[in-house]
Amino acid sequence: MENTVERTVVVGSKSGLHARPAAIFVQNAKSFQSQITLGKNERTANGKSILSVLALGAEKGDQVVLTISGGDAETALTKLVRLLEGDLG
Amino acid sequence: MKVLHGIPAAPGLANGPAFVLRPAPPVDLAEQRATDAQAEVARLEQAIAQAITLLETLQTRTSGALAEILAAQREMLDDPELKQGAGKLISAGASAEAAITQVATAYAQQLARLADPYLAARADDVKEAGRRIVAELRGSTSLLALDRPAILVAQDLSLAELVELEPQFLLGIVTETGSPTGHLAIVAQGLDIPAVVGLVDALDRIAMDATLIIDGSEGSVTLDPGAEQCAEVERRIAQAKSEQHALEAYRDQPGQTADGIRIEVFANVGSLAEARKARAQGAEGVGLLRTELLAVQGLPAEEVQYKLYTEIGATLQRPLIVRTFDIGGDKPVPGLEIPAEANPFLGWRGIRLGLDRPTEIFLPQIRALLRAAIQHDIRIMLPMISTPAEVEQARALIAQAAQELEKAGHALRPVPLGIMVETPAAALTLDQFTGLIDFASIGTNDLTQYTYAVDRTNARVRERAQPLGLAILRLIERAGQSGIPLAVCGQLAADPAAVPLLVGLGVRELSIAPARIPAVKQLLSTMTLGEMQTRAQAAIAASTWQEPT
Repeated sequence: MENTVERTVVVGSKSGLHARPAAIFVQNAKSFQSQITLGKNERTANGKSILSVLALGAEKGDQVVLTISGGDAETALTKLVRLLEGDLG
Repeated sequence: MKVLHGIPAAPGLANGPAFVLRPAPPVDLAEQRATDAQAEVARLEQAIAQAITLLETLQTRTSGALAEILAAQREMLDDPELKQGAGKLISAGASAEAAITQVATAYAQQLARLADPYLAARADDVKEAGRRIVAELRGSTSLLALDRPAILVAQDLSLAELVELEPQFLLGIVTETGSPTGHLAIVAQGLDIPAVVGLVDALDRIAMDATLIIDGSEGSVTLDPGAEQCAEVERRIAQAKSEQHALEAYRDQPGQTADGIRIEVFANVGSLAEARKARAQGAEGVGLLRTELLAVQGLPAEEVQYKLYTEIGATLQRPLIVRTFDIGGDKPVPGLEIPAEANPFLGWRGIRLGLDRPTEIFLPQIRALLRAAIQHDIRIMLPMISTPAEVEQARALIAQAAQELEKAGHALRPVPLGIMVETPAAALTLDQFTGLIDFASIGTNDLTQYTYAVDRTNARVRERAQPLGLAILRLIERAGQSGIPLAVCGQLAADPAAVPLLVGLGVRELSIAPARIPAVKQLLSTMTLGEMQTRAQAAIAASTWQEPT
């Protein structure tokens, strides 16, 4: 059954969603079946694409909206929120 | 057999097959696909898979900040949006080469517009990812394909390419452009790999796999040498190796004169790999960490810098003198907007840029250094200083950073502060810096350039500068009288003719290419301080200066 969940998260990584934190996020996002998007202000990014995640330009302390839809949405949300809030380096 | 002449850039002999790296011709963005769309997409997917395999091989050879950047680049190669975007263009008729280049360029432009300089610098990574895929589509040679011992022949090597080099396969380097004091020369000397630069038309004259002998001290390249000559070179290489072996006895001894005066022998390094090499060669510390070499992909964030300085400090377990970013018009950094200047060497560079743009450039680096210095013996050195006022300004910023960090709970240690003496102004007035700095280090390449008003990258005038000329010796003598502990970290510090003069003029630390450390320690041990002082005074007194023989 199609399931959509959404959560607003404050970016915890000290250097924002820079190269390494973005790569870690995207690698994790790819391990889920669900569609994953990240939104900041007016823009949205495909959570499985490092290019669109980097292009968001999210800094530490920025609010991003994580939207996930698909069979494993709940599990993905728990995992990805924890990643975004923590320090990815 | 044919002998070609270039400019000597790193000493040593090598013989072996040529590996010729040709610059990629530009991609024709209007190029139409030759096959049906489905086959073209399959070609693209295969090229992407091959590019990923190559990058993964490269990743296993690196560590630290570079490895993190490569991880992001690898992720870019595999990016679903990149593939989808290129797929759409292919359906509309474009070739795989044109499609991937267009999509990568569009993303690069989007990233370049971001306010954060580090993120903006990732624009170059996207373009690089695009180029890697195009190289696979065309089946062209890449530096990564160098998988056997060979002499690399190239038009020029960027810093990014230099860090990709696998030293074990690299017998020597020949380039068409470049200068004896450029980055390539410095890196090749550090790795102890012979190099000849400025060999015009090298790519036209040297074919892939042609047999070469290169002499990095003479700047000569012998094409298709005879068997006799090859045997002679091999004999000389073996002899040099055994001489190197004899010097090993000096490697782990402290640097000192024949009468036991301590002269610290430090290393100049630009990466973690070079720091390891320095340690193995018996460096008593690092006298110059060129941090701008860590910024070839853009200014690293504070956290990335902190990790890197900590990693290098832990590798060394000895004093580590870190020069703050020495960047400017002649040393561009991706993602950092620096206006073009008519005279970049006299322009907005080094400490001038750092002090004028503290939030972006100076402060993050200082915070990273102060934090790393809690665990390791790290000292800060400011580049391109000409007046004490600049040091006062830098000290105020350092104090501000320290205060913020302490407020955040970091228990900082006092960090020694020094300057580079590269301008005649700083050399002549070094005594005026007393109380403001703990040490000074002469950068002889820049000091020579500024003293003789000779651009060291300009082949037409380069010869007019005299690195051991009377003007330089008098400046060093004056600096030596300041009472401030004095080092030299330019190429002169490893020159056998220069070492006794420098020490005789009051220099007590020599910072040199790691490979030269045992030889310089050996040289120091052959003369007393008094003999070196006599030699230096004789050189200065001579009204007509001649190079000592």
